[in-house]
Amino acid sequence: MATRKNDSILFRWIKGIIHNKKALSGSLLVLSFILIAAIGPYITVDPNAFLDTPLSPPSFSHWFGTTGQGQDVLAQTISGARQTLIVGFATGFFVVLIGALIGGISGFYGGKVDDVLSMIINIFLVMPGLPLMVILASWLPPGPLTLTGVLVITGWAWNARVIRSQMMALRDRDFVSAAIVSGERNIRIILIEIMPRMLSLLASSFIGASIYAIGAQVGLEFLGLGDVSTITWGTNLYWASNDLALLTGSWWTFVPTGICIAFVSFGLTLINFGIDEVTNPRLISERNWRKYLPKGKGNDGITPVIKTHA
Amino acid sequence: MSTSIQYLLRRLGFYAIAAWAALTLNFFIPRMMPGDPASIIFARFRGKLNPEAMVALRETFGLTDEPLLGQYFTYLKNLLSGDLGISIAYFPQPVTEIISTALLWTIFLAGTSLIISFSLGTLLGTLAAWKRGGRLDSFLPPALAFFGAFPYFWLAMVALFTFGFGLGWFPLRHAYGDAVTPGFNLPFMIDAIYHAFLPALTMVMVSLGGWMLSMRNTMITTLGADYITFARAKGLPSKMVMLKYAARNAILPNFTGFGMALGFVLSGALLTEIIFSYPGQGYLLLEAVRAQDFPLMQGLFMTITLAVLGANWLVDIAILFLDPRTRR
Amino acid sequence: MIQYSLQEWKLTTFASINKMKDKTFKMFSFHCVHQYILKLSSAVLICFILIFNNCVQHEKTTGSPPFVISQEQVSSFVRNFNPLIPSGSSRWPTVSGIYEPLFIYNSMTGIYVPWLATGYEWKDGNLQLDVTIRENVTWSDGQPFTAYDVSYTFNLKKTNAALDPRASWGYLKSVEAINDHLVRFKFLRIFVPGLHALTEQSIIPKHIWENIDDPVKFTNPNPVATGPFTEILRFDHQIWELGRNPHYWQEGKPAVERLRFYAYPTNEQATIALINGEVDWAGNFIPAIDRVFVGRDPENHHYWFPRVGGSIFLYVNTTKQFLDQVEVRKAISLAINRELIVRVAMYDYTIPAHPTALADGLAPWRSPTATENGDWVEYDIERANEMLDNAGFKKGPNGIRLLPDGKELFFDISIVSGWSDWIRAAQVISQNLKLVGINTRVKTRDFGAWLSSMQNGEFDMGIAWTEKGPTPYRLYRGLMSSEFLKPVGETAEVNWHRFASDEVDSLCVAFEKTSDKEEIKQIIYRMQEIFVDNAPAIPLFAEPSWGQYNTKRFTNFPTEKNPYAQISPNYPPENLLVLVNVEPK
Repeated sequence: MATRKNDSILFRWIKGIIHNKKALSGSLLVLSFILIAAIGPYITVDPNAFLDTPLSPPSFSHWFGTTGQGQDVLAQTISGARQTLIVGFATGFFVVLIGALIGGISGFYGGKVDDVLSMIINIFLVMPGLPLMVILASWLPPGPLTLTGVLVITGWAWNARVIRSQMMALRDRDFVSAAIVSGERNIRIILIEIMPRMLSLLASSFIGASIYAIGAQVGLEFLGLGDVSTITWGTNLYWASNDLALLTGSWWTFVPTGICIAFVSFGLTLINFGIDEVTNPRLISERNWRKYLPKGKGNDGITPVIKTHA
Repeated sequence: MSTSIQYLLRRLGFYAIAAWAALTLNFFIPRMMPGDPASIIFARFRGKLNPEAMVALRETFGLTDEPLLGQYFTYLKNLLSGDLGISIAYFPQPVTEIISTALLWTIFLAGTSLIISFSLGTLLGTLAAWKRGGRLDSFLPPALAFFGAFPYFWLAMVALFTFGFGLGWFPLRHAYGDAVTPGFNLPFMIDAIYHAFLPALTMVMVSLGGWMLSMRNTMITTLGADYITFARAKGLPSKMVMLKYAARNAILPNFTGFGMALGFVLSGALLTEIIFSYPGQGYLLLEAVRAQDFPLMQGLFMTITLAVLGANWLVDIAILFLDPRTRR
Repeated sequence: MIQYSLQEWKLTTFASINKMKDKTFKMFSFHCVHQYILKLSSAVLICFILIFNNCVQHEKTTGSPPFVISQEQVSSFVRNFNPLIPSGSSRWPTVSGIYEPLFIYNSMTGIYVPWLATGYEWKDGNLQLDVTIRENVTWSDGQPFTAYDVSYTFNLKKTNAALDPRASWGYLKSVEAINDHLVRFKFLRIFVPGLHALTEQSIIPKHIWENIDDPVKFTNPNPVATGPFTEILRFDHQIWELGRNPHYWQEGKPAVERLRFYAYPTNEQATIALINGEVDWAGNFIPAIDRVFVGRDPENHHYWFPRVGGSIFLYVNTTKQFLDQVEVRKAISLAINRELIVRVAMYDYTIPAHPTALADGLAPWRSPTATENGDWVEYDIERANEMLDNAGFKKGPNGIRLLPDGKELFFDISIVSGWSDWIRAAQVISQNLKLVGINTRVKTRDFGAWLSSMQNGEFDMGIAWTEKGPTPYRLYRGLMSSEFLKPVGETAEVNWHRFASDEVDSLCVAFEKTSDKEEIKQIIYRMQEIFVDNAPAIPLFAEPSWGQYNTKRFTNFPTEKNPYAQISPNYPPENLLVLVNVEPK
């Protein structure tokens, strides 16, 4: 009985996402980049090869021009997507996993367990993340694993805190109390009763963490703290700045990568907007029927009841 | 009121434990790094120093072979007495001296841009929520989100080279020009603002969206509350309802976020500072990491941690006054 | 070309900004509040720009323009002018402009230029060195400079080991002033190469330093010295100025009135300043310099990258299976396309290495026999493959050669993260080695981690520098002597690749004992032959010394046509030669 009800919650939610314009366009944007990351390396020239005159502007043979070492910028931009996205999404996943585990346990059980766990969460929360990231990233051998690890360590606490409070709120609800009274096992209550209701929170946490991970990762790599011999969006920017791309006016070496990063993050942000709007329809900002009314009506807040419940 | 004090003391106790954990981590992480400062300085000469110089270098920087635990207690003792040691990269300058100048500039740059972006974002969020579905509400959040999606150092680079290098409107580096003398005088202050303008602008641009959106969303939720409907039904002026009723309550979560961000001000400007050659904490930190300057690294980490904790405590106090519910 | 494209870039950016502005205006036009805010802010912005541009351009200029030098890349300056501490913590040019040495080794001419001393003489079977001190030199506070200052300097280093980075007291017995103008160095053992370190020591004034409690931590904020520039005119974190010594001993010199230094924290910032013509003299690495720098002002912007430094090497760990064989190392060398490395990684600023690893600055020392035998620095994939086949390492199914136990060859090439030129070089090498069936991976590491793995011998291959000096002695001693050889796992300051030859050991001893020119030459020749026969490390390319200058305000820089010194400011104390000779236009 309860399961079927949850299914319908899940179903309604997913349907809402698909029908939300923002979420849909965001998903399409992100999916197209995932597609590029997946097939890109098979359709471009070798991004490592030293092909042509360094820093030649976009032309027919090199659509995005060449780098300071004469490598093809288009190929580098496309193959850079792969590791950047993998690290970004992997970080997002682990952040949510650890956050859900620690925050969930802490919120569900409360008491002593909560005291200890929320202490740990809070300590990690106030720990200055960026300096810690820089120190850790410079100390560990550079590479995607290190980046993911560093980003997870410095990023999980916020999600844990959010999930904990959500869990505490849900735990006090009647259906959970009922399940406890009826003798269901805790693990089952958490997985079957509570988690589906937290789905939108988990999803938006995942997306938020991925945005953070992509940004932080690119920043660290730009500082030269990643493995600069691999090709990622961060190292592309590192090399562009290293070859003094802006000074020489070779905008094509850093603009494509920057825009790709912005598009992916923007796409993810749009999905999050969508999730927010679906779970809290009041937030919808798309223009509504009011714009067809004569000007002034509905804008002055005289008929508040209709407006606030629109 | 005594419960409030109890609450504040409990928080203070927590912050003390958090500070200890952070500082301990801060001690052990750099020491696990391979290589020691003396060999690194030796190697920086790329073959111009004799290998025999190692003895002299170790001597200079007072590197000891004392067991780690012993070093740890000396470290804690020195921290408590405010002695952060002598920098290696800036030998023989005491760490406190180096940090103090950098600290002021970082607080100035990052603090100003945080305050601007927080207040502007909150204001815009309030307006957007109030006129939901209006032009401001329809266009600004996606536009700001798009700007926010760019890596902020990337925007900073583009801004520096467009407005600084290309058009020559803004200075390319530093916190003030060469023609002014630092001090409490008008030309210096104007110059400092001029130099901070572009870096602050890029920081505001990428963070504005977040503040605006979170304010808008809480505000909308608040606007649905019964007491707002009641206030409106009573026929109170709409400005009053917006500011005194809705915004005042909706601002609480944003304010907590502001407190957190305030603490992270000290480290948050790292990349911007590097790109604009702004003589603040962020750049120092990177330099310290690269030179394996343990004392400087630890000093920076400590100031940043303490700032974060201090800001959090202040927010605790502020919330206590703003939100009567915590005063139970 | 470059100017054109930059101009174009500027225009397009500007146009797009205007377009954006239009759109924003339209977008907000309905709300008078927003319009008001926008108008206000753009007005404020324009005012800002006007006021500030005026402020900045109206800088007070008194007298001749300052000579702006960019050598150190720091975020802020620390006032430290202690010439004795080794860390490079004191400001440039503490040891090459404020304080002066006895002699200056000129790497362009190979001559020791007499400076605070006028001559030296070996005595007592090379166990004693008598140095004659120049007369009529005064400190910048007007006190006379004498041999007692020299002996004080050296004896201060004896009592403070931290001040003796060149470890001179490892071979010195005593340093004594005989009279005002004669200093006598007595040696514990015969060590002729020690002369170099002794002559380049900065001399400090006894009457000032004898009152200093801790000379190691003394920051010497107001230096009293003999050099051409001694007066600190201004010192801020972002800028400082150094004025002329009123008592300088060289009549009419220096011609430059004051030096100015800005804190440029990154190479990019330093380059911008150089391109904008703000800097008169610098020693930076600039990619595509002809376009980026010279193209901006071909008449005044110049550079000169003489190859006086050492060579850059690919070190291979000779304790590892496969890499321990001479033929293998030579084959690896043959497989490397040095022309491509020089082009891709070094922008053609240098040339592939000479087989003896001696760059142009040391060219007169090259042995003809060694040059001839060192044909393994050529690029010859076929021969490399042949040699590896003959050595018994057959290619496996994937085209990768196999070790006797059937494992595929795989090596890491370790590079410091951020040292982009060498990372590029390693990428080329990695691609090259694949062609001869050796699989490699470029592994970048933080400097500290990289250094400790190299020093401990826990690496496969790595790119690094070599020891430098006025003769090739230190180069070959560092590469092949057992003196600094350590077992794997222990820190070796040099000889990271772990190769030692008994014959080189005895050649080193012979070298240290002789001051006879012909004998020295024969010893160096023999060292080169041993190097070329054993290929203990693989030379890649000559290390250029970076030097850029701007002739808009100053002239008489050393050039290829007038090589009175090397141009790079990165080689103190040789930079003194430039500082006293540069003149305002």
